[in-house]
Parts: sequence; structure tokens; C-alpha cells
Amino acid sequence: MTDFKALFTCFADSGIDVIVIGGVAARAHGSARFTEDLDVVYLRTPENIRRMVRALDSHSPYLRGAPPGLPFRWDERTITRGLNFTLITDLGAIDLIGEVTGGGHYEDLIEHTVSAELFGHSYRCLDLDWLIRVKRAAGRPKDLEALAELEVIRDAKMPHPPTAGEFAK
Amino acid sequence: MTGDLDRPNIDQVDSPELDLVVEAYKSGVDKTLILENLRLTPQQRVEKLIALHQFDDELRNAIAGRSRGG
Repeated sequence: MTDFKALFTCFADSGIDVIVIGGVAARAHGSARFTEDLDVVYLRTPENIRRMVRALDSHSPYLRGAPPGLPFRWDERTITRGLNFTLITDLGAIDLIGEVTGGGHYEDLIEHTVSAELFGHSYRCLDLDWLIRVKRAAGRPKDLEALAELEVIRDAKMPHPPTAGEFAK
Repeated sequence: MTGDLDRPNIDQVDSPELDLVVEAYKSGVDKTLILENLRLTPQQRVEKLIALHQFDDELRNAIAGRSRGG
């Protein structure tokens, strides 16, 4: 089970710059879908990578789905030389994404985020339009239902006079 | 729609073919659940997900215990 609260708190307490995307961001926007992992786009500066390595080091990060015993080293060099990491930790599953298809890097996405108050801290979440955009770019079959739901949420949030049978905002 | 859906394709961001597929899926979206969620704060929405995870965990443990117990 992924401990979302602990992961969020870990990021906030360590001052790590991330943008929440994926299922948890969708959930924050109103999605009713279940998700197993936390997906974040992280800022790839040396300082942020250093903070991220320190913060997760005590939570045994390892490549999710990989056979045990691989020579995976959780350190700044590994993160700097890599880009996207699909990890399992003792706090649960987390995807650390350096570049997301259809969205780019942290710096490209930050202007397309909204602030969300979660567990006493403020986090950046990808806004609904860009969440839809990156889902569309991923274009995986498993994303199609989620994509439809996100577009329904966007329609529901559109400012227009409500008519009978429509969502309340 | 052309191409392999398992491969990321930035061209799909503005794909009319994808629009058609997504429109078809929209009819299956439970709008009542969305309506309920939109009345909550973002934190409450995420807390519902956490509660679901806890339930999922308990369910798995219960099934595992039952399997072990026969």
C-alpha cells in the first residue's frame, strides 16, 4: 500500500520541488479513479536531486518490478545520469519523472500548475488542461477511460449557467 | 487511430481520432461520483483515495488469511 500522506510529507519536509501528475493529481481535481502510485515530475537541479536522494535514502528505493539483487545505487549520480525512475520504497510506489511525454520538464510544466493544500503543506499539481494533454500524449489504452473522466470533470467545471440535470460546481 | 497505442505519441494531443474514442468512453463515466468529489476540497479527495487504499489492504489481508486458514 502506498502511504501518500507520508510521501507528500517527506517531499515537503525535505524541500523537494516536484509537480504532482498522474492519478493522484487527477484525484485532486475530482477523479473517482483508484491509483496505486504517486507520479511526480521533479526539478533536475543538483540541489533538488541531492534533497531527493537524501529524503528517500532511508526508505529503501529500488526499481519497481526489477528482480532483486540488481546493482541499483540510489545516489545523485544515478539520478543525474538517468531521467525517469519507477520505484518501490517502503512508503510505497513512486514514479520520479524528469521528463513527461507531451509536457516536458519541470520548468516547462510549472506555469501549468495549480496549488493544492494537502496535509498542511502546499503542493504544485498539474492543472486539468495539462493533465489531459499529457494523458493524450501518452495515449495508452489504459489511459482512455481516465482521459474521458478528466474531460468530463473539465466540462463540469466550465463556467456556464447550470441547466437541469447538469453538475453543480 | 494509427500507430501503436503503447508508444507515446505527441501527435495524439490534437488527434480527432482520439477525440472519437474518448467521446465514446465518456458515456461510461459515472458523473455522480465526480459531482460528489467536486464538492470536496482537494485534500478530502486525496483522503478518499487513502481510505480506499486502506480498505484494499484490509481486503487483501482478509483474503490471504482466509486462504491460509482454509
